[in-house]
Amino acid sequence: MSAVSIRNASKVFNLGKSNQVDALRNVSLDVKPGEFVSLIGPSGCGKSTLLRLIANLLEPTNGDVVVNDKPAAQARLDQDYGMAFQQAGLFEWRTVRKNIELPLELKGWDKNARALRANEMLQLVQLPEFGDHYPWQLSGGMQQRIAIARALAAHPPLLLMDEPFGALDEMTREYMQGELLRICAATRTTVVFVTHSIPEAVYLSNRVVVMSPRPGRITKVVDVSLGGERNEDTRNRTVFFEAITAVREGLRGMHAAHVGLGNDDR
Amino acid sequence: MFVAALALVVVIWETYKALGPADGGTLLGVRILPRTSEYAMPHVWDMFSRFNRPEVRGSDRSVFDAVLAGAWYSFRLSAAGFVMGGVVGVGLAVLMARFKLVQRGVLPYLVVSQTVPLIALAPLVVSWGGKLEVGPFVWPRWLSASVLGAFLAFFPIAVGTLRGLAAASAASVELMQSYAASWTKTLFKLRFPTAVPYMVPAFRLGASASVIGVVVAEISTGLRGGIGRLIIEYAREATGDPAKVYTAIFGAAALGLTMAGVVIAVDVFVMRNRPKESVS
Repeated sequence: MSAVSIRNASKVFNLGKSNQVDALRNVSLDVKPGEFVSLIGPSGCGKSTLLRLIANLLEPTNGDVVVNDKPAAQARLDQDYGMAFQQAGLFEWRTVRKNIELPLELKGWDKNARALRANEMLQLVQLPEFGDHYPWQLSGGMQQRIAIARALAAHPPLLLMDEPFGALDEMTREYMQGELLRICAATRTTVVFVTHSIPEAVYLSNRVVVMSPRPGRITKVVDVSLGGERNEDTRNRTVFFEAITAVREGLRGMHAAHVGLGNDDR
Repeated sequence: MFVAALALVVVIWETYKALGPADGGTLLGVRILPRTSEYAMPHVWDMFSRFNRPEVRGSDRSVFDAVLAGAWYSFRLSAAGFVMGGVVGVGLAVLMARFKLVQRGVLPYLVVSQTVPLIALAPLVVSWGGKLEVGPFVWPRWLSASVLGAFLAFFPIAVGTLRGLAAASAASVELMQSYAASWTKTLFKLRFPTAVPYMVPAFRLGASASVIGVVVAEISTGLRGGIGRLIIEYAREATGDPAKVYTAIFGAAALGLTMAGVVIAVDVFVMRNRPKESVS
């Protein structure tokens, strides 16, 4: 039993056209229930594409994606996962509470059940007094916490996050990482997390998946043996630095292979 | 500021009237300065005092009442046109947002439609309407004027709404997809709310356009009862009663302002909880 199971998945954009892009080639990955897995790599390595395959926002060109022991398409219809993006993406015309209720509304929950769950989620992200505010009245970090509350409102077993803290300043970012770990521990949610920050990936994850571009593929998987309990001291532990070094080497190895290819930004 | 601007216009009008040549200025036989005689440029206070006097000698109906009644009639026609234009405009925008093919096929024609002169179209619509009879429904004459108002109003509404419907961010569209929300649900929960800041100015344009459409249609089809008809009737009397036509023009201006005011009130209401920044 796995939360996510990807078998030989490939994704080609613009197949057969002159601007064909091999976004992913033969990627296989298993994520166990309760596990926290980060996808890391340079721009264009397909980490966001991989996340979207899991979310069934994209269909793989080849291969299988199984989420929660069902085909990804069915898992999406059943709302087996919640999703959070770099931009909190809260609806500015809805109050914080109504934003959290959005997925429940779409699931057809009645008003009382929605209100109850929204309160529970506001407690979980420790912003109980902000339910009737509008998103634009909140700081970036608060907005992102509300976005996480919204993603988890329907209690999905899986949380997919696409660089959710990328737009936050360093202080807020580290605070949010701690918050995310606390929330995931409390809800026992499986997480697949896209980032391009090495310390962030290591601090949060049980496993860090290193990816490389052209074509997008997995080059290395780093196990992080930091244990369950992580706090600010974790960032000073030797194991933390060793894992960071391992991830960095994984990324650097691929970089060396690409020296001479020129423009690496694409 | 608005009052000051208005006062300035009055001052300029009266100053020119006092100082300008009574027969206007001519250069090589072409008149380049307007005449300032009582017939061409009545005093501002004459225009206003005209409101209080009877519409025709011996009548107990004052011009004010006549203009008010005319403006009210035209207002209702414009409102009907505005509503029709709104429904058609929003409907077209939704279709165009839903089907790219429709957008590519229809949008150019919408642009072309607005280049057809309204004056040319007005008699056509009246004659088409006159031939239309569906069961007990007989096309009333006023409907032609409303349709022409709608014809002008739907365009900015369709274009503005379409732009608004397309303004939802990629991430929020993906979010709705991740909830397995249908296109219709996405439309009402995401796209329409996103479009509101774009639709508000579009509807404001549409409102004033519907007034213009109705007044022009009234004038060119000679429809009785509205402010457009009053403008021509009073203009015919301009030689004997030059101030009178201005009362009808003021009425038309007030009509346009009222229409815009109604839309602004709705605007303030729907935008009350939005961040205070504007889209352009």
